Amino acid sequence: MKKRFTLSLCLLLCMSLLFVACSSNNNSSSNSSSTNSTSTGGNAAAEAKEKVAIEVWLTPQWKGVVSADEEGADYDSFFKYAAEKFVKQYDKYDATVNVEIVAGDQRDQLLNVKLTGGTPPDIFFESVFAMGDYVHRGAIVPLTDIVDDAAKADIESTYWDAVTFGKEIYFYPFQNNPGTFVYNADMFKAAGLDQYIGDASEIKTWTLDEFQVVLDGLKNNLPKDQYPNASPMGLFAVNNQGDTWNLSYLRMFGNPFFDADGNIVLNDENGIKGAEWMKMLYDNGYTNPGAESVSSNDVNALFANQQVAISFTNPILYSNTLASMESGNTAKFDARIGNIPSASGDPLSFTYITGAALFDTRDEKRMEVAKDFVKFFSTDEELVLSSQNGIPVRSSVVEKVKDTNPLFTAYNENSKYIFNFTGNVPGYSQLREVLYPELQAMYLGQKTPAEAVASYQEKGNAVIQQNKANSVIYQ
Amino acid sequence: MKILNHYQKENITGYLFVLPQLLVFGLFLVYPIFEGIRLSFYQINYQSEKFVGFDNYVTLFNDPIFFKAIFNTVFFVVFIVLLTVLFALFVASSVFDKNAKYVTFIRGSYYIPVMVSMVVMSMVWSFLLNPANGLISYYTRELGLGNINLLGNPYTVMPVIVFVTFATNVGQSIILYIAAMIGVPKDLFEAAEVDGASRFQVIMKILIPSVKPITLYIIITNIIAVLKIFVVIQLLTGGGPNNASVTLMYYLYNNAFKFNQLGIASAVGVIMFIITLILSLPQLRSMLKDK
Repeated sequence: MKKRFTLSLCLLLCMSLLFVACSSNNNSSSNSSSTNSTSTGGNAAAEAKEKVAIEVWLTPQWKGVVSADEEGADYDSFFKYAAEKFVKQYDKYDATVNVEIVAGDQRDQLLNVKLTGGTPPDIFFESVFAMGDYVHRGAIVPLTDIVDDAAKADIESTYWDAVTFGKEIYFYPFQNNPGTFVYNADMFKAAGLDQYIGDASEIKTWTLDEFQVVLDGLKNNLPKDQYPNASPMGLFAVNNQGDTWNLSYLRMFGNPFFDADGNIVLNDENGIKGAEWMKMLYDNGYTNPGAESVSSNDVNALFANQQVAISFTNPILYSNTLASMESGNTAKFDARIGNIPSASGDPLSFTYITGAALFDTRDEKRMEVAKDFVKFFSTDEELVLSSQNGIPVRSSVVEKVKDTNPLFTAYNENSKYIFNFTGNVPGYSQLREVLYPELQAMYLGQKTPAEAVASYQEKGNAVIQQNKANSVIYQ
Repeated sequence: MKILNHYQKENITGYLFVLPQLLVFGLFLVYPIFEGIRLSFYQINYQSEKFVGFDNYVTLFNDPIFFKAIFNTVFFVVFIVLLTVLFALFVASSVFDKNAKYVTFIRGSYYIPVMVSMVVMSMVWSFLLNPANGLISYYTRELGLGNINLLGNPYTVMPVIVFVTFATNVGQSIILYIAAMIGVPKDLFEAAEVDGASRFQVIMKILIPSVKPITLYIIITNIIAVLKIFVVIQLLTGGGPNNASVTLMYYLYNNAFKFNQLGIASAVGVIMFIITLILSLPQLRSMLKDK
């Protein structure tokens, strides 16, 4: 009896182990957001092909395949549609594409855990600046071999430069989101600043002197009964979010920020002038109170509530702001785009290039399918039209859709002023953590602008040196 | 031949019963500790691990922010634990012998914040304290008191975090104290009453000594909890302003998940483990003494 019981127990254990093993094999194909040739009505020949499942991760970019008006539009709609189209025509393997959306602020935590466990996703679609560190760590593989001459001709060289580390291309550029100011034209009018308002389809460029006049006008002449407790401009430094605007202000007087070797060279007369300008804004009440404890999200909310007249934006954020007004979630006002001014008179322009990167999963077949999928959705004539949700990187797409959004032409004109704000240096995410404590110290008066700049340069270069030592690009 | 006698057989059965728990304990608690210690001697990137000896510890001890994190953590431990114990003792000793319904009401009132997620509590406080659009700043502006930024001032940020954490967690200690005080034999109070002892003397001479084991338990558990303080820092201040509120746990998190310095993060973890171990020794000793 006892023996029989033990035998039955062992058998039960073996069976349960078998079931577990089988079910884990089926996991990838049972995912609700997966797309494969069988589920999309692929032909019988696909059955005979080897099954390969890849995982695509993305942070929220735009809703719908092309437009947020589509039924059931979500952040993964584009990739689900692209995957469906891809597997239908793909003949090398019986491919399955699983799409997963991850929160932007969780990206690094999730990726680091996955990388440490040796199970990174196959593809990550994200802003290049946030992913550069993974190139230096050797986690991302080059895509140079899938970039042909036609693509190089269609996409401006400034975009290729931003995705090139060493001699290799590591991201396939898809769209870009240039960073600018957004301003409340109604508040400008109320403060008697009509002459400084640009056209609705224009990215208004002010000189630094003109910008000062605007700030003074908003500070002194804005009707208090109409806009109580409103500030001329949004300023934030509680964390690294939106720090690119702060970095732009530091370049305002012509400091190049990085030298040819990728070291920070902010600590010169022009760099200090940029920091002094920020401190001047803070001290003279041109900005929202408590910039050291305010996030970019807070400033965005202040702008939406007409508590600040000038804020930061990019095309996606700008269209979300307009959509929010349209849907009645926020009060309607006349929001327009302006450039970050500089001492030279030329606008300070930077852009977040968004594109796909391929992780080294150490599985040749998965990497082959992933590479084919990246090439497919980055070059397919229909799919690349979705890049109009931001600003398309392809001139051919801009040409096709320029009538739908007059700002495309304005952004295109701005592209000649674009600077690469990351310098593609190793340890950029760590570098971001160095800037805002220095800005906080400067705003609180614990450090002078010159001291804050010197300290940032010293700590920042230490981070870069430390990461250079581990970078596969610098080996 | 009988290899095992009756007692040995009984022991084996006992060990077999605890084996699953031991396996889980070993796999998920003991193994990570040793792995953490091992990793603290390595420099790790995606492709390789390099043995660097004590370099990670040297880096830590050369970083002023690490010492700031230690100071802040100790500050939090001392003030939060002190405030929690004193306030919980005060509330519990005031109400434990009152009407049962009243005691239940007090217990419930203080316990509600404990049930609410720390994330939610931090977000509520963030909404209240935000200098640009927070409720407190709004009213101070309306009252003509100007802008108040308690989270942006290096001198006020720590007391604010102490208060927020204390307010969220004190309910647990009050519940424990009330339960312990209700269990103190009534004849002690009656004898004190006969001797003409005042309420203050009863609390100091009878009540507090009687609940000493609970006090020790509350102190140790709170020390361990506060050493790991993270959510409130992450959501309220992000370690700022200018690292004024950075703690060891937040420093560890930054190194592990933001800077990808797993070796340094592991070294911080090892140091935190040693601190916790040292602080837990008195409790361990008193437990062993009881046996």
